[in-house]
Amino acid sequence: MAGPSEEPRALLYRALDEHGDRLYAFALRMTRDPDLAADAVQEAFTTALGKFDTFRGESNIATWLHRIVYTKAIDLIRQRGKESPLPEDEEAGLGPDDDRLARTPAWARPPDEILWGSQTKEALESALKQLTPLQRAVFTLREMDGMSTEEVASVLGMEPGTVRVHLHRGRLRLRALLADHFKGAVSS
Amino acid sequence: MKGDCDDLGRRLTELRDGSLGESDCAAIERHLAECPSCGDLHRDFEDLARLCRESARPRMPLAVRRRIENALK
Repeated sequence: MAGPSEEPRALLYRALDEHGDRLYAFALRMTRDPDLAADAVQEAFTTALGKFDTFRGESNIATWLHRIVYTKAIDLIRQRGKESPLPEDEEAGLGPDDDRLARTPAWARPPDEILWGSQTKEALESALKQLTPLQRAVFTLREMDGMSTEEVASVLGMEPGTVRVHLHRGRLRLRALLADHFKGAVSS
Repeated sequence: MKGDCDDLGRRLTELRDGSLGESDCAAIERHLAECPSCGDLHRDFEDLARLCRESARPRMPLAVRRRIENALK
């Protein structure tokens, strides 16, 4: 763990070594575009360097950088203007659509080599792209990056209970989207 | 009962988070054992979590890393 006297540049270089791949993967899943992901991460590090005095070590540096990458990614998504709803427009409560998704039939169980194979992982990445940006952020950080719900809440600036709502909604949508993939795999 | 199922679907997320007390966990486990559709939902969520854990994380391209290193100079 870096001490407080380390230069900001040295701390950020170390963060790039330790968390660069996580941050890039998060940006790529958020923006769905390698060029935008690269811009989001680079701008995040530039912003972090310029505003390092606002990082007081109260949160983990990885959490802080994820928060900046998230903000940059949402700005880029907004500029591109092709995705909706944006996070500020999403309902924080579960609704009838979630109840409908919860009644999606269970996955048809293909053989293990299909269930855990590369095609299913490609289908998962493809399904992730169909979530809303906020669902994608919550799901990616919690399930793929392994953050705790509290850490995800800190990155996204929301209450843990709200994170759980969006996580549940994202899981339901992914389950429904992957059900189609498994149905095709079993019937073919 | 349908009401239990609606509530349980949402509470599975709390169960996976470890944010429920012992008696709530026990009640959910009982329901999962008795209700096939909720058992399926739980199993699919668990498999989804495993798929995520086993999915490869995209790596930062070297050119992007160089851009960031230059920005930090």
